[in-house]
This record gives sequence, C-alpha cells and structure tokens, in this order.
Amino acid sequence: MSASASKKRHLLGEHPGPSTYVDDALYDRLLKISAQWSEAGLAVPASQAATVTALLNQECRLLDGGRFEEWLNLFVEHCIYWIPSDVVPQDPRREITWELQDRRRLEDRVARIRTGHAFSQIPPTRTRHCLSNIEIWAVGADELRVRTNLTIHTYRKGKQQTLPCMGGYVLQRQAEDDWLIELKQINLIDADQAQGNISFFL
Amino acid sequence: MSVTTLAEHKRNDIADKWGFVVHPSRIHRSVYTDGDIFKREMVNIFGSAWVFVGHESEIPNANDFITRRFGGRPVILTRDSTGEIHVLFNRCAHKGAKVCRADRGSTKMFVCPYHAWSYNLSGRSVSVPLRDAYRHHRSSRRYNLLQVPRVTSYRGFIFGTLNSEAPEIEAYLAGVRSPFDDWIDRYDGGAIVVTGTPRYRIAANWKFVTDNQGDGYHPAYSHLSLLSMTSQRYGADRDMSYFGGNVDESRMFVKCFDNGHFYVDQRPEMFADSAWAAQRPQPGREHYEAELQSRYGEQEAKRLLELAVGAGMNLNIFPNLLLIGNQIQLVDPIAVDKTDVWWFATSVADLPDEINTLRMRTQEDFPMFGEVDDVENFEACQEGLGIKEDEWVDCSRHLNSPTEVQEQDGIRALVTSDLTMRTFYREWQRLMRSEVRIDLSNQRQGKNG
Repeated sequence: MSASASKKRHLLGEHPGPSTYVDDALYDRLLKISAQWSEAGLAVPASQAATVTALLNQECRLLDGGRFEEWLNLFVEHCIYWIPSDVVPQDPRREITWELQDRRRLEDRVARIRTGHAFSQIPPTRTRHCLSNIEIWAVGADELRVRTNLTIHTYRKGKQQTLPCMGGYVLQRQAEDDWLIELKQINLIDADQAQGNISFFL
Repeated sequence: MSVTTLAEHKRNDIADKWGFVVHPSRIHRSVYTDGDIFKREMVNIFGSAWVFVGHESEIPNANDFITRRFGGRPVILTRDSTGEIHVLFNRCAHKGAKVCRADRGSTKMFVCPYHAWSYNLSGRSVSVPLRDAYRHHRSSRRYNLLQVPRVTSYRGFIFGTLNSEAPEIEAYLAGVRSPFDDWIDRYDGGAIVVTGTPRYRIAANWKFVTDNQGDGYHPAYSHLSLLSMTSQRYGADRDMSYFGGNVDESRMFVKCFDNGHFYVDQRPEMFADSAWAAQRPQPGREHYEAELQSRYGEQEAKRLLELAVGAGMNLNIFPNLLLIGNQIQLVDPIAVDKTDVWWFATSVADLPDEINTLRMRTQEDFPMFGEVDDVENFEACQEGLGIKEDEWVDCSRHLNSPTEVQEQDGIRALVTSDLTMRTFYREWQRLMRSEVRIDLSNQRQGKNG
C-alpha cells in the first residue's frame, strides 16, 4: 500500500475549506492531457510499472469494496475526477460533463452516500472495476500518465451491465517510489448516449 | 368484492374509459402501465399537442441537423440552406429506412444508404436513381420525406405539431407564457445557448417525470441525502433547505394554467437573500468569484453570480418540455415503461466566461445529487404499479383547498398541492378522449414547385 495513502489525511467533516485550484490554467491542462491519451509515451521500467499497477489495483479494490474514504486518500489534495459527456471530450468550461469534481465535491459525493438516504445507492451498485491494456509513461521527473481500458461490471436490482471506458490517470510523485492520483478521467464508450444509474463511482 | 378493477369495467363496457382512469383525485395505474394507452398517447397527445423538439442553438447554421424522436417517431431537426427550420420524418420515402443515421452534423443532403434516394434539408427529393422505372408515379412530391407540417420557434425553443387545427403557439402556451418569458428574460437579452445534452434512460413511464416536476411535497424526503449532506458539511439555510418543515408555510407556490401547463415558483425563498451564497459549492467557486470581484467590483460581481445559479422555477409545458433550474428538459417516451430524459445545459451569450464556466459546474450538481434519487423513485413506482389489485395513484393533496386563488391567468395554490397533476391530467384526459386523425397524405400530392 502506498505510504501516503495509509495516512488518514482527510476526514469528511464540516465546513471544508475553499477550493481555489480549479482555474483556467487547470482547465487548459485537462484539455491538453485529454488530447494526449491517444498516443502513449515511452514505457516506464518494469519495477516502476509494478508500483503503479499496484496503486491502481488498490484503487479498484477500494471502490469495489465501498471503501470510499480510503479511496479518496489515493488522490492528491488538488485532484480532479472527470467523466466527459461527449466521446471527444470538450472544454468543460463550455460544455457540461457527467461529472467534474474537485476534492470538495468528490467528498460531497461520498458524504451523500454516507447519509443513509441516498436512495439511488440503496442498495448500492455492486461493481467490479477491471483494468487492462495498461500503458504507463513519464512526463518529466514527477508525473506519470497511465492509460487503461477500464471495464466496470455492475449489478443492481436484478440487472447486470458492463461499462467499457478509457481510464486515464495522471499520477504525481510524493516520494521516491510513492505516487498518488491527480486526475482520473473516465471516457465512457457511450458518453454521448443515454445513461442509466451511474450514481456510483466509476 | 369491493375493489372494482378496470378489467371489470371493460367487461361492463364502460362508456367513458378516460373518465374512469382520470379522476379529479386519482389516476388509474393503467395510465402508467398499459401499452395500448401508451400507443394512443403517441397519437392523441404527441400527435395533437405542440411537442418540444429542440433548441435553435443546437442547429445554429444553415445545413445543421440533429436527430430526435417525436412521440416515438424518429425525426431530423434541420436548418435548411435558407435558414428555415424543419422537423423531417427520418424515414425514406422508398422502403422506410432511416435516411440519417448520425446524431448530429452538417450536410447539404441526406442520401439513403439503401438505394441512394436523396433529400435536401427541407425534405425535398433531390434524386432517385434510375427513376424512369417509376413513371407510373405522377407526383414528384411522391419522393419527398414527410415532415411535421407545423413547426415554430418560440424565442429559440422549437416546437412542432402534427395537428393542423392546433392554435398558434402563443395561444397554446396560455398563462405559462409569462413565467416562460421570465425564464428566458433573466439575462437582459443575452441569448441562451445549449452546451451539452446529457441524457438519462429511465425504466419508468414518462409521466412520472412530469408529475414530479410539479411536486413540491417530495424534496424534503426524496432529497434527504442531498439536504442532510449539505447541512452537515456547509451548515443550515443552504440551497433547498426551504423545502424542510411545513413547506406549505413557505413563500413558494405553484400556479396552474390552461392546456395542462403549470410551474413551481421557488424564487420567493431561493432569492430571498442571495442564491449564490446559499449554493452548494461548485468546483472553481472561490477562484472565479475572486476573479469577478476584482474585474467588476463587489456589486456587479454579486449581480452576475446570481446568474450562475438556477432560475428557481420548475416549468411544465405540456406535454414534454420542462425547465428546471438553468436546464431545459425534453421528456422522450420510448415505451410505456422506458423514457429518455434529455437535460440540455445552458450558457448565456454575453455573460462573462467565468459565469458560464460556473454555470456548467452548477448544472452538474442537481442531476448527480438529486435527480438520481428521483429516478430511483420513478422506477420504484413503475414496479409498484405492476400490482393489479391496488389500482389508484393519488393526486388529491389539497383537493378543493380554500387556499387556491383564481388569478387572471391561472390558479395559484400551495407549493405541495397536487393541482399541478390534476391540471396535467385534465388536459391529458381531454386529448385521450378526442378522436385524432393525422393525415399527411397531401404532402405527397402534386408537384414540387
């Protein structure tokens, strides 16, 4: 387990502080990153790939286990969780998304589920997050990009479904061999089509 | 047996089925579950009312098109080369194939992939390969696409009707025109632009969506997760907290009009102080707020920020157009128990970019924190109504209440009154009772001029 993730750095409490990091520079960065997923860079060494794969497998496991507070700890403080509403992601300043969360609103999402009254998640959607086709490359010394085929199998109310996605992760170095997630971008294969209950975490 | 079932009434040849299923105080379950009633709705409701199809900003330029459904019929909403708007049946005049298979785009012509019959964006035939073999067809209009005969744009909102006798749109809107105008006129003439249309597929009848639009009773209960998360994390007196307690004592109200329209007015509570200040915080809030304050000064920034939050009105324009917050909703029935709800997000031309950016984040809030629980309840209603023995859906809240006020353009009632539902179903009943005959054959007679 990642060393920083083991630190309980954030409790879902009252009066979260201001969120000031979502600005034009950040949106520009999101757009640039989004356009770069189609080309992978030079693969990182196997040892580093193993560390990263372990982190992402842990992410899937925490989500599938409904351990959302621990899951949040895998993200840097200034993180973004993004599900575009078009197959070619547009500028989120100009077009609504399925979800674009900063840390505060991601915590709101978890806190809503924890109230015990979030009827769309009672019972919760059972999920199996599966990662494949993992490609990892470095951008500078302290940033990694991870492009995956993310397949989410779900079951709820007698119905199974499969959500095929491109899962794009940007990781930030915390220490020598310790990484956390700055961005999780989920491109649904049918982002531009009608969705059912997607009120769980993809 | 004390329970009278619809089946028994059918056996007894009830003279007035529509009088039976729609009471002033209750609606029969079959209205939500019967496939034959659904089929009749697609003709009697969606074939005779003014149906909302889309917004002009979705097809801003000549030759733009998008595809939609019109009471189940696949249609293409086009702006032709002269700028005129059409709602074309997406159905080749030859074998019936959909001629346009894309969701949206820009083109001068639709060419059917089957035998290459082609059409311009006015629906008129451009060419038919090896046409000589059809010499027996006298009319050149025989080769055109059929189209919705009456299409109009009310201030950017495109409606169509298959009913040649429908009143003009202004008369049809009746009293709801005034709050509709209020919704459009919130921006000193700034034009509304659709910026993305997330769509939700719901395993429930389309009318659960319209019923809920006028339901000021449910928020405190259905949206308890949203309300308690908000008060836990951000304190009391936040957005929508005014739905708590005895909401009938609030300053909010509903107002109901002719032709099935109604609206819920939350503005007296939501904008009592500052709606922006009460808003659940959206990503980028503090940054863009500071930007606006430094650029425009405290006062002007405050005015602008109020435009980044919802309008505080829920409008139902019969049968399928809803306005909620800053969003436009199109209710799109697919089957008796299957509905798509399109949520058009809107930005406003001429507002500062920071406001429009905040509007995108604000408009993501309710769908993910609130609508998801509404949908859960609609689907649960659909399942519950599968029980044949318990037949009635109640719509009697504040029935014949002395608190109703007849005003010049409509009836004003308490915010939890089911007068909204009763208004909707009175019009629904009138249309279901009527004999609707849609005949578009004249579109295929004569010659293209």
